[in-house]
Amino acid sequence: MEVEGSPLYAVLHDAVPGRPEAPVIVHVHALGVEQITLYRQEVLAARGATALGFPVLRYHARGHGDSAGSSADVTLSSLVTDARAAADEAKRRSGRARVVWLGVRLGALVAAIAGGPSSGRGDAAGFVLWEPAAKPADFFRQQLRTLLFSRVAGGLKPDATVDQLLVRLEQEGSLDVLGYSLQRSLVRSFDGASLEAALAGCRAPVLLAQIEARARLAPAHAALVGSLNAPPAAGGERATVSTALVREEPGYQLMSNPAWSSDDLTRVTTEWLDALA
Amino acid sequence: MPWRETAAELDRAGAEQAVKVPSPTGTLFGIHTPPDPTAPAAGYCVVLFTRPRAHRNRMWVEGARRLAARGFGAFRFDYHGTGDSEGPTSFLNPNQPYRDDAEAVLAALRARFGYQRFLVVGACFDARTALSTLAVKRSGVEGMVFFAAPLMELDTLVKAHADRKDWRHLLRALGNHENWRALVNRERWRYMATVLGRVARGGKRGARQDTPLADSFVEHFGALVASGARALFVYGESDAEYVSFQVAMQTVFPRLAPAERARFEVEVWPGDVHGFVNIPLQRRALEHTLGWLERFHPQPHTRVGANGPPQ
Repeated sequence: MEVEGSPLYAVLHDAVPGRPEAPVIVHVHALGVEQITLYRQEVLAARGATALGFPVLRYHARGHGDSAGSSADVTLSSLVTDARAAADEAKRRSGRARVVWLGVRLGALVAAIAGGPSSGRGDAAGFVLWEPAAKPADFFRQQLRTLLFSRVAGGLKPDATVDQLLVRLEQEGSLDVLGYSLQRSLVRSFDGASLEAALAGCRAPVLLAQIEARARLAPAHAALVGSLNAPPAAGGERATVSTALVREEPGYQLMSNPAWSSDDLTRVTTEWLDALA
Repeated sequence: MPWRETAAELDRAGAEQAVKVPSPTGTLFGIHTPPDPTAPAAGYCVVLFTRPRAHRNRMWVEGARRLAARGFGAFRFDYHGTGDSEGPTSFLNPNQPYRDDAEAVLAALRARFGYQRFLVVGACFDARTALSTLAVKRSGVEGMVFFAAPLMELDTLVKAHADRKDWRHLLRALGNHENWRALVNRERWRYMATVLGRVARGGKRGARQDTPLADSFVEHFGALVASGARALFVYGESDAEYVSFQVAMQTVFPRLAPAERARFEVEVWPGDVHGFVNIPLQRRALEHTLGWLERFHPQPHTRVGANGPPQ
């Protein structure tokens, strides 16, 4: 498919016959190294969903993977534009009328903005959020912490703190984070955005799948669930929020051999989808 | 500054074709970047062995499109059990390269696109798989860029790397509290135990003769020599994998006839090469690879043809 003159890579996974009313699932990938460390897991989950009768479309946003475009030009706005184009393409090719948005990490926020209550689309059948990054600032800080930790794991002393790296990013315009260029323009484009705000007023069902070793929801996830469960100010329905604890270490933060994947994550996702349809 | 496509590269992006390759372990998925029909034809397809398919920071996506804009075909794909391909996922052991996958890819490129001559590129496991193509009969592989792969069984490599250390190194490492923090990692414990054992036993470095090259490397290196193909080997002097290459330089390389040895170039860069974990290294590796491959082009670009055509 093409967006604003740039060819985008996408894969449409055909569904097995039998559920013609099931929505099409659109995966919105993570950013940076997580786009590739979570790649296989996305493929496995997509195959699991197609076996249940859900078509799935996965795509690479501009500046990512096999799509065209420069990573220097990626912003929240371009990510949302690409996600909406992917959803339109998914509906057109699959013939399905509604969309389940599956957002991965920071992609969860992109999905929520692209298809949430403020998008004006009205075709969201649900949201699946894999270890969502509720606040972009926390996500970018975590990326930098991972960079520092990788130095420690390699027996080197970190040469800066996270705060010092953020100052450096602000001054220099970009930072080399494990071979990826973290751009100041990307970070700034997320200023003020939050998952809670993007899903405010959401009436579609939501699955939040936490991928952490802990036995209960992390505070940020609990706050998001609380917010979605709160009665809408204007009255009416509210979202049905389900949560799943995938109690594994988040092995996707660095490249690994073999690539990280989680049968549990695939299972909770497909079970939720099965119940949805 | 991140890569920004030229108009010609963007055109190649739009021309890319998804390709399904049947293999013994399931259908493999790859992307063919056809050569620019307006560029002088190179007559080669460059197979980029890489995982994941785009690799870190999309460096081989850029490579494929730049090569195609120069008249080369390019192909990148997912091994079985990885990315978009079928098949079971397992640990990728460089000493057990996926030769069946590689053979299936070359066969598909011959059958579907008519390529007869290939250049192969890879790093670590991918380099070992690229090398294994030379053991395929009439592979058509004429050149290889080989980055920072282990050439020993992995347990042997740990021992060989430990032999680089001495008591002074060990004491310095023990005084660094970051190393203690790193011991939360079980692999790091195992490594430290091996280092301690090797240093404590002492002995003249290399005298133990217990760090041989892997049989699979020796076999595939022999196939490379017999094939007549040219090769560029690149390591970082800090790479753990470099120790194994040093053994190769002391064992299999000296046995080569002068004409055979002349076909192989060896470069050792400062610091680490393995993993391409920073952008300046990625840029250097990519530019160097493209420049080396350009020498196979019948009409090489003047900027990168300074070293002359391959003999």
